[in-house]
Amino acid sequence: MSRRELAEAVGVNPQTIGYLERGDYAPSVELALKIAAVFSAPVEVLFSLEPFPPLARTVTKQGDS
Amino acid sequence: MFVRSAKRPFGRSLSPATARGLVIALYALYPIGCVLQLIADETATGDALRIAGLSLVVAAFVAFAVLAGSSLQRQAQEPETLLDERELADRNRAAYQAHSVFAGVVLLSLIYLMLRQDLSDNRNFELWAPATGDHWNAVFWGAAMLAMTLPAAFLAFRKSHADEDMGE
Repeated sequence: MSRRELAEAVGVNPQTIGYLERGDYAPSVELALKIAAVFSAPVEVLFSLEPFPPLARTVTKQGDS
Repeated sequence: MFVRSAKRPFGRSLSPATARGLVIALYALYPIGCVLQLIADETATGDALRIAGLSLVVAAFVAFAVLAGSSLQRQAQEPETLLDERELADRNRAAYQAHSVFAGVVLLSLIYLMLRQDLSDNRNFELWAPATGDHWNAVFWGAAMLAMTLPAAFLAFRKSHADEDMGE
């Protein structure tokens, strides 16, 4: 799914998806719920007190195991 | 003031460096250009200074024109219903900072004019103030450009990444 598609699905500017990906902006609960609904995931996976590890590292780890 | 084009309804996306450069150019070139033209009225080499001053003012207006069509200016000027929550949060912060700075500039200008009035009897210490129509014209357009672009200027200095250009 592209940024633009996700942005259209949740009703925000595609640039805002970039801000969320980089951790430059913390979404409101409403936006987080919309994003979680798009991915059929629980909203808790979008929030963490610790910074999320880079996606590339996570994918590499999954590939190794 | 945001100038929307049919090709880029969300405004032209600028890199942080370009956006900051335009803001600095606008805020530096305009007053320098005006001062050069003011000096030109009082010196023998007036024409050269006047042309140099006019060139700087034109360059400042070009910077203003580019900013007026940018995504930063869209974010600063668009009605609330057309912005998402992140854009609104950033815009509100920038608007607060812009308001504070603009109020400060107005207050300092008033203090300057009061000081000038208080010192008006002292012939050895004369402070300049706008007197002619050209002077007030320059002050007006400077203040108008400042008021119209300050929120976008704060957004430019907060921006950390080049945004995706949504118009293409």
